[in-house]
Amino acid sequence: MEYLSLYLEFYKIRLKSVAEYRGAFIMISITKALSYAADFLVTWMMISTFQTMGGWKAHEVMVLFGLNSASYALAGTFFYHITTYLSNQVKDGTFDEVLTKPLNPFLYLSTRYFSTGYFGTFSISLFIIIFSLISGHVAMDFGKIAYLIVTLLSGGLITGSIMIILSVPAFWMLENNGLRAIFFNNIRDFVQYPITIFGKVIQIFMTVVLPYAFVTFFPALFILGKQDYSIFPSWFMYLSPAVAIVLFVIAYRFWMYGLSRYESSGS
Amino acid sequence: MAYIEVNDLVKDYKIYDKPKGFFNVAKSIFVRTYHTKRAVDHITFSIEQGEVVGYIGPNGAGKSTTIKMLSGILMPTEGQISVNGREPWKDRKQNSLHMGVVFGQRSQLFWDLPVEDTFDLFRKIYKVEEHKFKQNVEFYVELLDMKEFLHQPVRQLSLGQKMRANIAVALLHDPDIVYLDEPTIGLDVVAKNKIRNFIRTVNEEKHTTVILTTHDMDDIEIICKRLIMIDHGKKLYDGTLSDFKRSYKGESVVSIEFESDEEYVMPEGTYPFSILKRDGAKYLFRYDRDKTTPAEVAYLVSKNRPIVDMGMQETDIEYIVRSMYEGKAE
Repeated sequence: MEYLSLYLEFYKIRLKSVAEYRGAFIMISITKALSYAADFLVTWMMISTFQTMGGWKAHEVMVLFGLNSASYALAGTFFYHITTYLSNQVKDGTFDEVLTKPLNPFLYLSTRYFSTGYFGTFSISLFIIIFSLISGHVAMDFGKIAYLIVTLLSGGLITGSIMIILSVPAFWMLENNGLRAIFFNNIRDFVQYPITIFGKVIQIFMTVVLPYAFVTFFPALFILGKQDYSIFPSWFMYLSPAVAIVLFVIAYRFWMYGLSRYESSGS
Repeated sequence: MAYIEVNDLVKDYKIYDKPKGFFNVAKSIFVRTYHTKRAVDHITFSIEQGEVVGYIGPNGAGKSTTIKMLSGILMPTEGQISVNGREPWKDRKQNSLHMGVVFGQRSQLFWDLPVEDTFDLFRKIYKVEEHKFKQNVEFYVELLDMKEFLHQPVRQLSLGQKMRANIAVALLHDPDIVYLDEPTIGLDVVAKNKIRNFIRTVNEEKHTTVILTTHDMDDIEIICKRLIMIDHGKKLYDGTLSDFKRSYKGESVVSIEFESDEEYVMPEGTYPFSILKRDGAKYLFRYDRDKTTPAEVAYLVSKNRPIVDMGMQETDIEYIVRSMYEGKAE
């Protein structure tokens, strides 16, 4: 890709401005980390009281929790702008500027407006995952560590793809905030618990329709060495990277289709 | 073939109706009703490489919509556009490599980046050769007087400085054509003049085609040799600036304010002026510039009624277009 260095340039610009507004960056990172840490403590204490949740111990559920929020942080870093501000940019006409550049509009938007606000969330999530694995005495080998990294990347891509898909109505002058609240913010909470505690319909929904289960549940089965497959085949635990790639291709294509139907504002 | 060929161009916008009442809101989730608004209505023109064209008309005439179609942002509803043999909307990337755009209402600079770093970034976006880049930066910085704020981040610049930087950035890659959508809006006289002279110089030195929309008649006077005027999406005039001025030399407007706001009735007889508009005690008189002067109009009017104030009305484009449009409709 001849333009790779250019898109990296946009990252550099964002990082430079982080250095410039260091105070704000540190504050945001700390507040976000603290709010996740509080969530984490409450859930941890709750499950510790019940001993287990659907056969999952507290530290195991906390791995799901950490995978979910780490994936969200990764996705938000690259696609938060697209899913949140695209509709504003379309409405006030600033999106036009993107189309006057000899660049790929998708890459341009996600790199130019890449978010530095998720650093705190990502750090605390990673800490939660590692802390839970150690405190639960989960035996980790090289394969598992490698797959944990792959899982984080796949989870970020899956979560990001859903963000991208939910941004597309913005091209048609439709409000996407409601859609995002339901299909993104609320539903995603399901997968910070083992999906086997829910009914079959929800399990299938979270696997096939909105495949959030591949962000946390299935890969965690492998990392934690559990055999809680429910109605699904055991090889689903290796499927996350494939799901991520396929879903991202679909999301990108759909976004480009949305763009082809874009109508600028009149002024 | 000319550099730009626009043939029978039409653009319709879909405007979705705002539903009223609970039932209609619920219905609109599934079926949205809309009506279409025609922004550009069968426009045809061609522009040669190196021309400087003023594209004018009142607000909502369809200027920006035309520019957006020429620059590849919008797809035409009907008709053809060819810019250097390319269809801008289909060949968006190639088209944008050879054009520059400045939207006066919006900045394309990076908020936190110093101006010189912005130049460097645009060099990478447009893959400008190092040698050409250096030459252009030097030329533009000198001509637009940007030396003093070159190291400042964009957020600290004044409106005029930002506009100059925007224009320089749009021309860094030596585009064949530059679209300037109200480049002098909101600027003071000094800044306006800097920009006008700059555009003229660039056109002369580099043979860059310029399409400029504006509401400021002085922009047109100083920069453009040719005018295209549109209103309600239709082309009203296409020709040289001097022809345009000649055809509008005839008529001007003077405003006169009377002491009381009783209605003023023109006395019997023929006069080289007539009432154009009334606003309380203030009247606008249209007069024939070849036959009389504002002073004479004021004198003749004041014979019947005492007046307290008079003023010359500027013949701005808005007014000319309106009167032209009304003239056509009559």
